[in-house]
Amino acid sequence: MGLATIPLGAATAQGTATLYGVVRDTLSHPVRANVRDVKSGRETTGDATGRYRLMIVGGTAVVRVAYLGLRSIVDTVVLAAGDSLERDYRLEAAVVELQPTIVTAAKHSQLLDQSVTSVALVSDTDLARRAVSTVDEAVNKAPGVLFLNGQVNIRGSSGFVEGLGSRVLLLVDGVPANQGDRGGIDWDMVPVADVDHVEVVKGAGSALYGSAALGGVVNLITHDIPVGFHGRFRATGGTYANPPYDTWQFRDYTGGLAGVDATGSYGTETVRGSLTLGGRHSDGYREQDRSNQWETSGRAEWVPEPGTRVTASGAWTSHQYQNFPTWCVAGACDTRGQAYQPFMIDNSGRGSYTRSNKGYVAATLDRTSSPSFAWQARGSWLRTHFTDANPDDWSVANRLGAEARGVLHVGGGDDRVFTAGIEGAHTGTRSDIFGDSGRVGDHTEIELAPYGEAEQRIGRLMLTAGARLDHVIVDDSIATTVASPRIGAVMPSALGTWRASAGRGFRAPTLAERYVTTTAFGFKVVPNPDLRPETAWSFEIGNSGAFASWGRLDAALFWTEASQLIEPAFILVDSTPEIQIRNVSRARLRGLDASIAVTPVPALTATLAYLYLDSRDLTRDTVLSFRPRHLFTVSSDYRWRSWSVGADFRYTSRIERIELDQIFGQDPRVAARVLDLRAGWERGPVSARLLVTNALNYMYNFVPRTLEPVRTMSVVATWTY
Amino acid sequence: MIAAMRSRVARAALTVVAALACNDGLRPTTCSGICGTVTFNGAAPESTQAVYVVAYHTFPHSQDSLFKFQPSLAALRALPLTGIPTFYDAAVPPGRYEWVLAVWVKQGFNLTNADSTLREAGYYRDPADTSQPGVVTVAGATQPADSINFVVDFGHMHPPCHYYSPPCP
Repeated sequence: MGLATIPLGAATAQGTATLYGVVRDTLSHPVRANVRDVKSGRETTGDATGRYRLMIVGGTAVVRVAYLGLRSIVDTVVLAAGDSLERDYRLEAAVVELQPTIVTAAKHSQLLDQSVTSVALVSDTDLARRAVSTVDEAVNKAPGVLFLNGQVNIRGSSGFVEGLGSRVLLLVDGVPANQGDRGGIDWDMVPVADVDHVEVVKGAGSALYGSAALGGVVNLITHDIPVGFHGRFRATGGTYANPPYDTWQFRDYTGGLAGVDATGSYGTETVRGSLTLGGRHSDGYREQDRSNQWETSGRAEWVPEPGTRVTASGAWTSHQYQNFPTWCVAGACDTRGQAYQPFMIDNSGRGSYTRSNKGYVAATLDRTSSPSFAWQARGSWLRTHFTDANPDDWSVANRLGAEARGVLHVGGGDDRVFTAGIEGAHTGTRSDIFGDSGRVGDHTEIELAPYGEAEQRIGRLMLTAGARLDHVIVDDSIATTVASPRIGAVMPSALGTWRASAGRGFRAPTLAERYVTTTAFGFKVVPNPDLRPETAWSFEIGNSGAFASWGRLDAALFWTEASQLIEPAFILVDSTPEIQIRNVSRARLRGLDASIAVTPVPALTATLAYLYLDSRDLTRDTVLSFRPRHLFTVSSDYRWRSWSVGADFRYTSRIERIELDQIFGQDPRVAARVLDLRAGWERGPVSARLLVTNALNYMYNFVPRTLEPVRTMSVVATWTY
Repeated sequence: MIAAMRSRVARAALTVVAALACNDGLRPTTCSGICGTVTFNGAAPESTQAVYVVAYHTFPHSQDSLFKFQPSLAALRALPLTGIPTFYDAAVPPGRYEWVLAVWVKQGFNLTNADSTLREAGYYRDPADTSQPGVVTVAGATQPADSINFVVDFGHMHPPCHYYSPPCP
């Protein structure tokens, strides 16, 4: 560890000192570590060469150097005001970062073990290994998480409702990003190149986040901007496998995919900025499945003084894609004598196409007033605009949001913490499908919600209690108020850290669910302005800890009681069946969510995750639709010098029941067995990765008449400066 | 000791993966219940709304049992009325079916005017006695009834009450 002291006049004037140096791992690879002054909360992130520079208050400081996947270092340094100190750190490998820091579970920075609910992390190492192209690919393999044709499920939260009304809230750096009209999630809104890591909070999170956080919260944490000039260029190319059976062939060429993205950034101690541009094309793996996407994002930061940071960020994506509504069955196209053709579309869906533009801008002011108090104020604008062909419809939604929040650490420590804030949003939509009985119409929704949570340590026990009061007004006439309390406790012990929580979640019906007027599967879909919020109580008890020097276990038993679930249902109007979104179900979801991370030998890491889900529709006394009972994931990676290999295998049991069973009940459904393989090579600023997803070319579907992706082979080359 | 345990864990994990990886995913299938080829005689009337293939567990001898057919109303697939022989696939649950027929539906149909807007347009016949309907058995989800071929004759269609006891005049 190098040590040198040099004067720094500017810092003297502010009573601060400078800590700087390089962070590497035990293989001498540079690490973009988080370096944090524990007392003041000031922190910085290293650049691509591992260099960091942190302004701290003069005197004795405790510094924590952390990086996911590596063991943290806590160091005590003594600096006089105006001095600078060089400290180089070497982080050793760990099975799982023992004390990773998270920001989502309590709306303030805390150690993972202090969270009262289960949190899954997708680290930047995971993202780099898998070289994913989209954010949903990054989240999909997290323990307890399953995507059903693009709709995210955390412990079976959402099921599948054609992307409408997600029961999971998406945040981008803490800013809500669900669509204003449909309430779904546009996973393509943020370039994956911007994402540093992902926090997945499981269970009802409405006590802090309000509507949509019924089943959990996914927070995309974007990269910090390092000091100096930096850049990254990434190119991707690949091919889709052809159908495994001759009778399923649908084209006479091999489908391909390609993409490029580039990021450039420049930063000083006070001003930083970055810009990302990218584009992708895919032929798709099925008939009528092509897509083109252009994306850009930017971020600017200004640090006028230590403890104050102003951030402006935004992203914009234009995505044009053909739709594959459902696969073709006999009578709906030329099936060549087959009962169904999974790669070919139903003739009624021919020509279906979507142009989807979406983006957001957000501005945030973070201020650490003292070692014990910090506050944040933010404003955001989220816009989505889609235009469909066959069926022809369109919708524009604008969501303006604002939040002010303060966090008080009494005495400067973590023994007593108060978090309080108020959040508001105004959503306006204009649409011909969510409008006024099939005509163009406008709707508005206003949300206002104060919230607060307190954490108190009593001996080894940390207790948490809080609540949020959401007031929602639709079209200035329909008003709803929902209270969402939560209590929890965390206690470290010789058998790991125990956690328990009970909380209420809710989801207000989206404007689309209230006012949709369209046709689906040949049936008229009619509006239901009188929809009420769906609610759920979530209970959890869990434990996490190391069971050996080479392994770590996290397990939780969970239980959710949901009522007034919003789902599509058939109704008879003048003896004619029609579909309407209604409050129809009470449901129970309970089960076990467990994961084990092991390092049998130093260069080999492996993770096993298992979710057992017992879900019941209590109204109909049946299994809840679109909830597989078993979800088993095993991942492993091995590294040798500059080379690495890895694999993921996921087993998803056959979905026992689907919605609209009258239409799709006789369709084939199978369990999913998907193997992904990867290999990588790195030397200096250059890396190359080979990915083979669904390597067994296993044919399966989760939702009716929609084939999941076939084997896809791709090569990703990255250059980083 | 630890090394042995690690080895056992690795072997167990590989065994589980190998067992779970057996490929029994979606496969080509020619039938998901009752299927076959429909041949058309004559042209469909201009007032046609659709023609469906349906199956009855027991022959419908009254209006009460008219709508007790499979597949369910919502799962019906209209036959393409191109005039050329076409493959059909009626996704019905396993069971014994006494009557498999094509139902012609007139424009303006609703549940209250069935007798005047529905017609039997042809049915599967017993190969041993073509004057009688043929019984079709779907033994299981993986044992469909294939080659249930019959003729749709738009020139000889009958209203539901033609088969009631007693039949309509």
